[in-house]
Order: sequence, then structure tokens, then C-alpha cells
Amino acid sequence: MPEVFIDNERYEFEGDYMALQFILDLGKEVPFFCYHPSMSIPANCRQCMVKAGQYIKDEETGEYELDENGERKIRWFPKMQTSCALKLSDGMVIQTQETSEEAERAQKDTLEFLLINHPLDCPICDQAGECPLQIQTYKYGPEGSRFEVKKVHKPKRVQLGPRVTLDAERCINCTRCVRFAEEISETNQLTIVSRGDKNYPMTAPSETFDDPYSLNTVDICPVGALTSTDFRFKARVWEMNQTPSIDITNGKGCNIDLWTRDNEVLRITPRHNPEVNDYWMPDEGREAFEQFNKNRVSRPSITLDENNQSNTSWNNAVETFAEILEAHDPDQLAVFGTPHASVEENYAFNKFFNLLGASNARFTPHIIPGYGDDFLITDDQAPNTNGCRLINLEETDDTGIQSAVTSAKVVIILSDDLVGRGVLSADDLADRYTISLATNQSDTTEASDLVIPITCVAEHAASYVNIDGRIQRSFPAKETKYTNRRLNLEMSEGRLDRYGTNFDNWVNEEHKIDCLPVWEFLNHLGERIGLEFQYDHSRAIFDEMSDRIDPLKGISYERMDEELGVQLPIEQQEVTQA
Amino acid sequence: MTEQELAFTQDELDEIERIKAKFPTNKAATLRVLWVAQEKYGHVKPEVQNLVADTLDLPRSHVHGVASFYTQYYKEETGTYVLDVCTCLSCQVCGGYDILHHLEDELGIKAGETTEDGMFTIQEVECLGACGYAPMLQVTNGVYANNLTKEKVDKLIENLRKGKKPEFESMVMRQNEKRKKELSQ
Repeated sequence: MPEVFIDNERYEFEGDYMALQFILDLGKEVPFFCYHPSMSIPANCRQCMVKAGQYIKDEETGEYELDENGERKIRWFPKMQTSCALKLSDGMVIQTQETSEEAERAQKDTLEFLLINHPLDCPICDQAGECPLQIQTYKYGPEGSRFEVKKVHKPKRVQLGPRVTLDAERCINCTRCVRFAEEISETNQLTIVSRGDKNYPMTAPSETFDDPYSLNTVDICPVGALTSTDFRFKARVWEMNQTPSIDITNGKGCNIDLWTRDNEVLRITPRHNPEVNDYWMPDEGREAFEQFNKNRVSRPSITLDENNQSNTSWNNAVETFAEILEAHDPDQLAVFGTPHASVEENYAFNKFFNLLGASNARFTPHIIPGYGDDFLITDDQAPNTNGCRLINLEETDDTGIQSAVTSAKVVIILSDDLVGRGVLSADDLADRYTISLATNQSDTTEASDLVIPITCVAEHAASYVNIDGRIQRSFPAKETKYTNRRLNLEMSEGRLDRYGTNFDNWVNEEHKIDCLPVWEFLNHLGERIGLEFQYDHSRAIFDEMSDRIDPLKGISYERMDEELGVQLPIEQQEVTQA
Repeated sequence: MTEQELAFTQDELDEIERIKAKFPTNKAATLRVLWVAQEKYGHVKPEVQNLVADTLDLPRSHVHGVASFYTQYYKEETGTYVLDVCTCLSCQVCGGYDILHHLEDELGIKAGETTEDGMFTIQEVECLGACGYAPMLQVTNGVYANNLTKEKVDKLIENLRKGKKPEFESMVMRQNEKRKKELSQ
């Protein structure tokens, strides 16, 4: 097998490898800025310099030539090589900054050049704390600058597009953003303008950077040049708390991280999953942070007279719900599950009404034909359409929902804005007692007689099945009134969560929503009406499902966590307009 | 000028086709086609860049990047004659700034500006590779005027006003003059 010698260690490799990627895969480090594993390699930042050479082989005998000490002779390449674009070959010798002073010096000098016109405004820069330029300057850079002349000034606060703001002075012209627009989103909206020390990325004068994937350039920008207009100056990254989750704004189920501070989701970034979204996600999914914070249903509410909703206690909500159930036969109920909620929520919800004697809950997919592209935006507007099919909810179209409402006395809707998305009208619900279990205020909750606030994806652990049949799960990222980060081992703790107290003025106890997971609310309701229904955690629901539903056999939260989601052996169902 | 009014004539489109045929991709023809456009309009302002991009079926951003890279493409309207005065090292040592300031005084404008009659634009540029004949200037991306003196500059301006462009002159470095004489004999 071909062999390569990196920092005096021997490694074997098979196939085509670039030196940098190979070194990174070994868990070692070489600093770099412009290289990105999912894009082309221009080698233009010059940061990943290594010293490279080749052992000399005698062409006739095939033996390595030895020097007087019996060591193999090395023919060094005449110059330093950029390891990102250096293809490994048999007998190659590479010395990184770890073993070669020359490589170390080359990297240091490159950094000094890159920093000549960089403003060094880290204290006010959003990228600080997660900035490759900052980190690598600490590790490999010069102690100071020898540049004593005035720095070149370039445009600041440029609105490149509706979501991206450019600070051209910070740019090191790695062209990652330009290559992203060329190769990944293929809108070709960016280029590098001007030249020399005056260049920076820009759109054509008649265009704006309205790429539906534009915010990915903010993630891959190795400095603070491209910043998210929404997130600019909102929080320092080291004060936030990062929790893995799933994008719920469409059917693709992009893997994401939720960044919270004081129990507010401040930004959403993609999490690498080669099977689903690689390193990317659509901008729309990032804008969902607002729906986790704002316009939430907090505390149950009940309609007192015609159109007047008023908050009420949980006890009263349970009591009212129970009285309604006791006053009606199961066949007078119209029970609607939803592709907008997780598998666990739908399963527990459906099972509860099954136990009461109602038939399976109905649901209607939320599809906008032609809305998607062939990349990460889908026609399907809901994250869990296949999950509803998996647990055998009754799939129906809009008219199916309408006729179910017409023939019912009580309508119970799980977390689906059926009025807002045009399936029902508020008038359809007017003469029926309508109960909504909802995360956010919507036209449906407004038309409801009883509204039960439930946790959203940012507040519970639950799984979702995407359009390709992959099951992936979320973690609780923000506390509700009834959860506590320090007691719930599933929640991650940021620096402020760990060291802040209620008495510190930089810690805020607000932003906690008064809501419960669906299953917990149904526990209370079941207890009140004497139903044998008890789930302490979504994990218990999932365990029961994996026992009972064939495609879920052998699948657990642990497997989903380890394997970044699990592909289910279900038939790929084309999600179509019902 | 609005974008609708901008268009290449059939002759120009034919020429662009000939240029495209010389290169493996349309992208590679960007420089030459921008040149065609600049000859036609005298500048490549953003709307002209867009015309080039749309004609070549290339991203507008790409053409913009190329046009902004090269100082020889004029991104603004210029005078009939653009005087690129070199003030890089060799010219500077030999009096490049004297020439530039003399020109500025003569025409009543600063480097980077255009005279009111739209006749002249002065630009201060970096090395044009004629260090042996410093100080020098270039007229509208074309001929060089070499070994400049104030008198020579005055004469040049006078001629240009009459519409007479300087002729191309074959230059020899001073240390080679003797050899040139020998060769010509």
C-alpha cells in the first residue's frame, strides 16, 4: 500500500488524498483559511504551507537511496507547498509546522501579511471567539506587526443582500463565499472586485445577494467580513449555548444547532451531516429562531364569551378539557394530528384518543407545489409528514379535514395552523368546540375555545422523519417554566447558564414559556378522566413505538445520536399534493 | 443611458462570435469582449458590463469582477484622451511628478478628473514598463509618449487638441544607442 511520512510518522493511504485533508483526518492540524472540503481548492490564502519532498528511489533496483548514516535520502521540493492542493504520492515526506521550522516560519509570515490590512477590531467583531483568523494567529502568528503605515480602508456595513452585511476591511479574500455562490447555491451572485490590497467580495452593481442560501457564506467566512444582519451584535459566541436540533421549516430536516442565551434562540446554524445537508441549510430555516421566541402561546387560555380569550390556570384547562370529553361520545370528536409536530407527540396524542375509543387521528400534508428546489428547500412545508404516515395516522386531503369537522361536535387540533394555511376557515370552527394544542399564536388558536400551550422543537427531545425517510431527533435547548437546565441532563449548559445566578444583572430569567410537552399535559388529563396513560419522557414513547412499529425496530435515541439520524426501511413516498 | 438603449450591432455581434470561437469557454472571452464594448462606448460602466455579461451568457458578477480588476477598463465616462502619467519609481526619480503637476496646471484639473470640455482625463498610474524612457505617459490605452519634458507635454496637448495623436516611436535605451547606430550603418 502507498505510504506517506508526515512529521516522521509513517502512514498508509489508499486512493486520492490531498495532504491537508489527510492530515486533518488524522486529527492533526495545519492552519488554513480558504480550503473547504465541499468546495474546489484554489489554494489562495497560502496559509497551509508545509515542507514536502520525496524519498529518492533508485529507478533500476527500486530500492531507496541511503545516505552515509543509512537513512533514506529525501529530495525536497524546491519551495514550500500548500498542503490543501498537494496530492499525496507514494514515498512522500511532509513536515508540518510541528517538525519543520521553515514551515512554521512560512505560516507565521503568511499570517503577518494577511494581518497587514486587517483592522484587528476583534473586541467589537461578531466572529470573535469562533474566528479561524483569530485562533490561528494566536497559535501560529507573529507576536506583533512590523507594519507601521496606515492601513488600507475599505467599505464597511455594506448590505450585500437582505440578510448578509459585509465589512470589507476584515476580508482576507479567501473566496469561500464566491465559490459557495458558484458551486453550491449556483446563483453566481458574488465576485471579488478590484485588486491588490483593495479587493473584496461584492455583487454586480445591478444585483443584490438575495440567494436563498446566502447565510451559509456567513458560516464559512473565516473572518468577520460577512455577518448575519439578524444576528449582528446580538451576543458573544462564548456566552451562548449550542444545542443540536433539526430544522422544522421544511421536509428536508437539515441538521442544525440552536444557539441560545437566556433561553432565547438567537441564531441557527447548520450542523454537518453528509447524508442530509452536508454543511449547508436554507436561510428560511435560520429565520425560524423568531418563531421559537416570539408570538408563543404561554399559559392555557379559554374563550369566555364570543371572541374574548382569557388566560386560565392549568387546572382549569385540564378540567374544561375533561368535561368536554365526558360530555361527548368518541365519534363526535374530530381529532387532527399534524406533520408539523414530532413522531412522539403525534403518537402519544393519537394513542390517548384511541384509548378513549376514537379512531385514528387524521392529518393533511402541508405541501406548496413548486416551492422547493432540488437542493435543501422542499415543497413540503412540514418536518414530519413521513412520521405521521409511519404511525398510521389517517392521511387525508383538505376536503377530508373539512368533512370531518362538519360531522363533529368537538374539534381537537395538534399544533397545526389549519386556518392559517387555508385548510379550514374560522367559520368552520365557529359552531364546534375547538381545542388547540399549539406552540404559537395563529389564526387557528384565535378561532379556538381552549388553547393548550405545548413545547416546540427547541424545548423537547423528539424525533422527526424527513422526506427521504430519515429519522432524526432534537434536544431541549431552551427552558420552559417547568424545566431546569441544571437538573435536566439532556440540556447543555453555556458559560452564563453555569456561572450566572439570578442576582447577576447579565442573567435574565424571562423568556421561559409557560408550556408543557403534549404527553405531559395528556398525563394530567388522563389522570383526571381515569385513563391508563402515563409517559414520563419522550424516550418512553419512542421505546414503545420501536417495540410496536416494524420500521422502528432496533432504533433508539442513542443510535440516532451516534449515526446522525437513521435511515428507516420505509418506502420512499413521493410527497404530493393531497 | 438606460439599459434598453444599449445593444451590440450585428457587426459587433459577429466579431464577438469570432472572438468566442478562439477560446474554449465564453468566460475566457470576457476580456476581449469587454474591450469591444469599451471601444464602442468609451467606457464599461455597470450597464455596459451587464450588456457584455448577457451577450456572453455569463454571470453579471463575474464580468463586474473582471472589469473592476483592470484599470485599463474605464468604469466611468472619460475624456476623449486619457493621459496615464506614470509616477512609479523610475519615472518618479526622473521627474514623473513634475510632468503630472505640469499637466494638472495646464489643464486645470487634478489626477483622476476630466476637463470640462470632455477632452482630457488625467490618471496617475503605476509602472507601464517603460522605465528606460522615463518619464512617460500613455494616451488612452495606446501609444506611449516617452522621455517627457514640459515642452514635449505642451506640444502633445496642442496636437491632441487638433486631433493629432502621437506616432508610435521605437525607443532605444541610451546605453544601446551606440550599438543601434553601428547596426544601422
